[in-house]
Amino acid sequence: MIEYLLTLGIVAMEGRGFEYPTDSVSAPNARLYVTNKSRNYGERGVRITVLDLDSEFYGTFGTFGTSDGKLQSPSAIEATDDGRILVCDDYTHTVNLFDLEGKFLNRWGIYGQGEGELNGPSGLAVDSDNNVYISDTRNHRIQKFNIDGYHIATFGNQGKNNGQFDLPWGISMTPRNTLCIADWGNNRIQELTIDGDVLSVIHNESNPLYELKYPSGAVVDENGLIYISDWGNERVKIINDEGLMIQNLRGEGTISKWAGEFLNTNVEENDARQASNMDIELDFLDDNDPHSESAHIEKYFWSPVSIKLDKFNRVYVTETNRHRIQVYQQT
Amino acid sequence: MVVSDKEEFELRAHLLRRAGFGSTRSELQRQMENSYEDTVEYLLVPNFTDWMGDHIVRRFDGEASGMINAPGASRNWLYRMISTANPLTEKIPLLWHSIFATGVPKVINGRVLFDQINMLRKYGTGRLDDLLLQLSKDPAMIVWLDNQENHRDAMNENWGRELLELFSMGVGNYTEEDVKECARAFTGWTIGNTEYMMVRAKRDSDWPYGRIAYHFEYREDDHDMEERTFLGQKGNFNGQDIIRIICEQESTARFISRHLYHFFVADEAPVPSWSTVAPRDPEAIDQLVQEYFNSDHSITAMLRTLFNSNFFKSQNVRYQKVKGPAEFAATVLRLGGQFNLPNKDMILKYQQIVWMGQELSNPSSVEGWHEGKEWIDTGTLIERINFASDQLSDYENPGVREIVDTLIKDSAGLLSSEETVSNCLAQLGFLEISAETKYILVRYAQKIDDPVSKITGVLRLLTTSREFQLA
Repeated sequence: MIEYLLTLGIVAMEGRGFEYPTDSVSAPNARLYVTNKSRNYGERGVRITVLDLDSEFYGTFGTFGTSDGKLQSPSAIEATDDGRILVCDDYTHTVNLFDLEGKFLNRWGIYGQGEGELNGPSGLAVDSDNNVYISDTRNHRIQKFNIDGYHIATFGNQGKNNGQFDLPWGISMTPRNTLCIADWGNNRIQELTIDGDVLSVIHNESNPLYELKYPSGAVVDENGLIYISDWGNERVKIINDEGLMIQNLRGEGTISKWAGEFLNTNVEENDARQASNMDIELDFLDDNDPHSESAHIEKYFWSPVSIKLDKFNRVYVTETNRHRIQVYQQT
Repeated sequence: MVVSDKEEFELRAHLLRRAGFGSTRSELQRQMENSYEDTVEYLLVPNFTDWMGDHIVRRFDGEASGMINAPGASRNWLYRMISTANPLTEKIPLLWHSIFATGVPKVINGRVLFDQINMLRKYGTGRLDDLLLQLSKDPAMIVWLDNQENHRDAMNENWGRELLELFSMGVGNYTEEDVKECARAFTGWTIGNTEYMMVRAKRDSDWPYGRIAYHFEYREDDHDMEERTFLGQKGNFNGQDIIRIICEQESTARFISRHLYHFFVADEAPVPSWSTVAPRDPEAIDQLVQEYFNSDHSITAMLRTLFNSNFFKSQNVRYQKVKGPAEFAATVLRLGGQFNLPNKDMILKYQQIVWMGQELSNPSSVEGWHEGKEWIDTGTLIERINFASDQLSDYENPGVREIVDTLIKDSAGLLSSEETVSNCLAQLGFLEISAETKYILVRYAQKIDDPVSKITGVLRLLTTSREFQLA
């Protein structure tokens, strides 16, 4: 079981803050690296923001551009144990490598449909041998490379059968050295070996109570608990190793340290906020659409695009539409 | 093809240009399997689900999901226009958006504008009474016309005036006292958390966590409960009573009928002159007014009458309407097929529509856009031509590739220049062009040997024709 800990971030087009964050990772230096696409994928918003759990801000890198070290549409981020940061760009179809200080190291990946080519990569995982697994989203498959971009294998193709995918999104390594893949368009999570063999599938047919709808990511902790960012339902769901859904979270976002500083210096806005009802009844909505609900209730998850664990099993839920990260901890 | 088939194709293409965003030859052929009347019925049944899908757009275009500003909301709508299986479903909000024009400069919230378009789509073909009632409760409209400042003890008549003047009856059909009574009936119709939302709007604040959608709230303690006289009727009228009375008026039926004619049949005189300038086709307006009352104010019934009428089918009204920029762009993007899945290139495409003269959810005034021939000037025409020729000359675009491959395959690669031009016209939805333009295109095609280059070249030039700018 997990409980809410705190919220990180504030919307900001530049510098300290996030704008349409797409993913986050807790690196070996205990800093959090957050990819931002921005509202227009433009010069003022694209970047990687670096901070820690205390909201200490360490700067940005990977800003908008086409040259080495620049990004256009950063879609996923991962860190290696030896201190390298990998960033997928789903517009340039590349993987970009940086050190922990943001210094550019390498870039690889070319557009295409052939083996080893990429089309809109949006998920990234690295195993203990530094092999890189990519959700090759618009090609509906997973591809495996070494850290230098040498193509090793391709898993799956478009379809609904086990081992096939429909616009796969988040991908993570499990403690048992397997892959956990959010098979977004098929409303399910697939677990594969690092050689691409299907081990298990979590889907609504196996347990209707899951009600998974376009999941964006899934991670597994050392106790076998599976944490799913259920993007289409604007929720986070936790399933135990017996297949029981033990938590179904709607979101509890609060004022982050950065948000608090903003409100403390903008008194008129803060006073009006304090006088308002932030937890309104939603009986005026006639479609029970969680996306619409989240547009009205700020504390709810709104477009949870990524879910990650740190080495303390804290859970980081990146919400692109709320430009923040909700952090949960083990109870 | 026999002449009668050709005429039927051209009539059906006319319908799909006006009720939709044009058509490909294959779309037309599918519709030709049924009668004209069946096609009208197909179009009149709203189809809210058979399009690319909101989940697809939201995944691949963050701002089309979070909607801090209007462009994200508009891109979401544009994706609907280019992928819907029933284009009238998207033409309807475009119609009402041009009448109930609401803009981002005061609303400062893309999501709220998006919610309004959804409302127009949902209620836009039902009873006018229901549509106007929803419009009265619409948070974007409330803020756009300041009704959150319309209080029992301090009336703001902005909404009341525009409801009568621009949205239902038209100038000359009510008194100044009716305006005031109308406004009083809507006191207390506001949005929730008014103060916080307006402070944020005033400061264009998306802090700390992006926009929060507005919602309607009725504050009874701020509503003027006094008895009032409105359009000759006396009572304890609230807003919904005002809507009912408005919708009973013949002037409302005429005003809405003229708007439908203006949008779907032929360009009318500018709306502000309607109180002094007679309709282009008074008999057509009479037919629509009659249907309005016969059908208990049903927009669907009026559209059925309109699309099946002789005045709509007439050769005299074909190619007599200038496509609006959003309509024009949607037509081109549907043909090109570049955006089967969203990508960030749509940001530029949307910006090009703005350069053509129409920024959705940001009309030039509360009266909407100046339409018809005013859509075209030297600059906007070049934008249109560049936009369309870029899309339809690019063989990498799936829609273009399909056209080219189909023409080459059907002719075994032996298309004459005349056939190339004729077949390209058919592929663009039986576009009818002048003999002179056709002659020039054939001459152009004769100079190119490579069939792919020949076809894409003809397609590119066709988009520059006068007729391609028209519906």
